[in-house]
Amino acid sequence: MKTSELIDVLSSGAGPAPRAVAAQRLVPIAVLGIVLSGVVSVSTLGPAPASMLTGVALWAKLGYAGTLAAAAGWLTACLARPVSRIATASRVLVGTACVMALLGSFSLASTSGPQRVEHLLGDSWAVCPWRVLVLSLPALAGALWAVRGLAPTRPRLAGFAAGLFAGSLGALGYALACPEVSLTFIAVWYSLGIALSGAVGAFLGPQVLRW
Amino acid sequence: MKDSDHGDFEPRLRALWVRAQAGDEDAYREALIRIAARVRAYFRRRLQYLPDEVEDLVQETLIALHLQRGTWDPALPVSAWVIAIARHKLIDLWRRRGRREALHEPLEGLEDSTLLSVEELPVRRDLLGLLDALTPAQRQAIALTKIEGLSVAEASQRSGVSVAALKVQVHRGLKRLMVLVKAES
Repeated sequence: MKTSELIDVLSSGAGPAPRAVAAQRLVPIAVLGIVLSGVVSVSTLGPAPASMLTGVALWAKLGYAGTLAAAAGWLTACLARPVSRIATASRVLVGTACVMALLGSFSLASTSGPQRVEHLLGDSWAVCPWRVLVLSLPALAGALWAVRGLAPTRPRLAGFAAGLFAGSLGALGYALACPEVSLTFIAVWYSLGIALSGAVGAFLGPQVLRW
Repeated sequence: MKDSDHGDFEPRLRALWVRAQAGDEDAYREALIRIAARVRAYFRRRLQYLPDEVEDLVQETLIALHLQRGTWDPALPVSAWVIAIARHKLIDLWRRRGRREALHEPLEGLEDSTLLSVEELPVRRDLLGLLDALTPAQRQAIALTKIEGLSVAEASQRSGVSVAALKVQVHRGLKRLMVLVKAES
């Protein structure tokens, strides 16, 4: 087939271009990722104590992970295009992490000396990042599939963004089961779990995101 | 990127492209013709030792552009988007061939207009032949709408397949074609 014939083939009956292609793929994955992570963590670990509903920690976890998920999802959508501007989305993402780091630092500073270690490590510091990582894996597979079906030209970065997106979704579900009440704990161990998922995404990106 | 601004190439293409994205098929055809010439020049400069690959890569790029039309960001130049996809296809070719020529930069001072014509080159691979490898439903959908040039509604009447199903078959067929093209090369 000559190229001029191919152009006729492609253009005839082409219709309008699809819109919001990235959002159409990423939004269902976000919903499924949160639900799956929430259901798995609550059913295996039990729900967080009801007293947390009146405290600040549960809402801080949901707010932090939710904002990160939105920012990382936005960044992922940008990186799923062949060319895009990513500065604004990246700044929102980094800004969110910085705000949480500041809150965690203030919280640690306002804790009296002997309780600081407990405030930082809680009871579950050794498992929290790994649980967040494992809970984010289904969403990571979904997000990589979604990006692969579009046209990423920076695969490592796109994989990293998809990993942070999935990590935030995993953390969002895990918050429903996690009993930790310290802001410092969230700022350190939640961030680490999400970053681990980002690292897995960055590692897989160049292999998986070919088209 | 110097490939994205060549005088009035971008403004003209953009005017066509905006209409094409909204569903104007004549504008889309005209835009693809200009893009094909642009991309051909881009590949010819970079594949001076592999001239046979040029037209196949042009066709691959056009199919990818078509399948990924939704990923163009209206805030950015059309030509930057086109060249990003062409560049991705070129890198993909180098990777498949496992050659080091990817490092060769085009000769300085040789511009498209002086060195290269925009004439179509011969292809090595025949896409029509590849149609046989699609499922019967995909082949029928593509043959009716794309090759016979029927509207989707007419094709739906002729084949008894619903409009929505036909559109899905055409899209899947083109995607499959893309995979076959890669597997072949």
